[in-house]
Amino acid sequence: MSSINVKVGNVELKSPLILASGTCNFGHELSEYYDLSILGGLSSKGLTIKPRQGNEGCRVAETSSGMLNSVGLQNPGVDYFIENDLDYMRSLNTGVIVNAAGHSFEDYIAMVRKLDLHKDKIDALEINLSCPNVKAGCMTLGADPVQVKQIVSLMRKETDLPLWIKLTPNVTDIKAVALAAQEGGADAVVLINTLLGMVIDIKTRRPVLRNNTGGYSGPAIKPVAIRMVAECSKVLDIPIIGCGGIMSYEDVIEFMIAGASAVEIGTGSLIHPTLPVKITEDLNRYVDEKDIDLKDLTGTLELW
Amino acid sequence: MNKEYSCIVCSKKMLNPDTAYLTIKCPEIASSAVPGQFVNISCSYFLKRPFGIASVDIENGTFDIGVKVVGKGTKEIASFEEGKEVSVLGPLGNGFTFDKDRNYILVAGGTGVFPINFASEYLRSMGIDHKVVEGFRDGSQVVLSRPDYVLCTDSGDKGIKGTCIAGLETIDKDYLSKSVLCCVGPLPMMRACGNWASEKGISSYVSMEQRMGCGIGICLVCVCKLKAEANGEEFRHVRCCKEGPVFPFEEVVW
Repeated sequence: MSSINVKVGNVELKSPLILASGTCNFGHELSEYYDLSILGGLSSKGLTIKPRQGNEGCRVAETSSGMLNSVGLQNPGVDYFIENDLDYMRSLNTGVIVNAAGHSFEDYIAMVRKLDLHKDKIDALEINLSCPNVKAGCMTLGADPVQVKQIVSLMRKETDLPLWIKLTPNVTDIKAVALAAQEGGADAVVLINTLLGMVIDIKTRRPVLRNNTGGYSGPAIKPVAIRMVAECSKVLDIPIIGCGGIMSYEDVIEFMIAGASAVEIGTGSLIHPTLPVKITEDLNRYVDEKDIDLKDLTGTLELW
Repeated sequence: MNKEYSCIVCSKKMLNPDTAYLTIKCPEIASSAVPGQFVNISCSYFLKRPFGIASVDIENGTFDIGVKVVGKGTKEIASFEEGKEVSVLGPLGNGFTFDKDRNYILVAGGTGVFPINFASEYLRSMGIDHKVVEGFRDGSQVVLSRPDYVLCTDSGDKGIKGTCIAGLETIDKDYLSKSVLCCVGPLPMMRACGNWASEKGISSYVSMEQRMGCGIGICLVCVCKLKAEANGEEFRHVRCCKEGPVFPFEEVVW
């Protein structure tokens, strides 16, 4: 029997499709468009210890094949989330991935401690070491393999929940950072967060984004993500969740061949809210026609 | 369940050289939309474009939008002809709410005339008394005006010379005292109209605008600033597309 079930380490998902953090909030809005239980999972909006109002607008700039955002981790804070949204996410009958961000080691550890108290409702913690839109923590920390290993090992001591580390592509050597996460005790890495970019309004000679720079996402970044998944797949023992510009089932398969065990869809659902429904149907048809288990495709890339 | 609808453009006319008016077939949107709500329309560029709904025809299952060319996306959408297939999300956001026991003063600036047109049609159909004040830069920009509307132009070549405030000043005090003001237009115009209403002691609502991503509340890019809810914050960012676009004037941080 062919199937689209996958596993990320010990986490079993009914589909490789996870909604990427920051593109599905906590599921309420998209559940008005389709039954989210078809998904492998949902990764919450990036949470921080304290509520954040995020950056000033304008927060979005369109490009020819994608968009830049500079939301700046606007979120209601982890306590509010636990009180008001976690049970809702659990009720969606899909994998519950909680995305946590911070400005310091202490922040990340405090987040993991708080969330570990609710581990019965959470399938994995996705640790955001990669947001390009906040002044401290996140990407700065996540670009340094030494600090990545340190922070992951400190979080590892606080929880048995699977720790998925979401990494920034804004580094010279992604393998070094991914290996550092593995050495620190990560259960998986998520590749990739957005690429740091800028769009200028030639009439005003100012950046379109009020934050000047923002995170570039969408189909334009897919080849970068595929390359990074392929590179890391060759050196890592832990699984990879691929992310970056997925718009079709072929994109999902490409990520899996490159080495991803599962994938995240982000900007695609901003453009077409029901895109994951179409991709799920197409993946099911693909595995039926080929008579394969989708998970067997992971890491089947043969380099020249 | 909400859907992304595949719709056909039924008719298109140019209201002036850079403003198109499209009628689009979508019975679901036509029958459920309220004034102040918007739709997101696809084009060949990456993001959909938001447009306030300008009118609905429930019998024929169509809705209308006005498209002023401001960039490459609106230029393309303004060029759509009859028969063109477009992908549409909607109706989106929270529109105006109307109370049968009140009068309404609808104020439109520039492209704000489109959602205000829908509001006026809706109030007429409900038998709710209202007046419309429209403000444009000059006579060449005037679209969707009616003889009973109070028309103002900055240049003075049509209607009253001056901004919407000049038009508002023509409304008599008794009428004003029973009225609520609903305003759609550029931010400085809405701020001026809201302040004017506050001075007169009447409440007002504004339709906020910000660059949008998804239009359905999941990307958090189209925020506007509202006054904080007494939790120590100076303000709170809320989504124009989801909590808005219509907000009470007094709640907005200007």
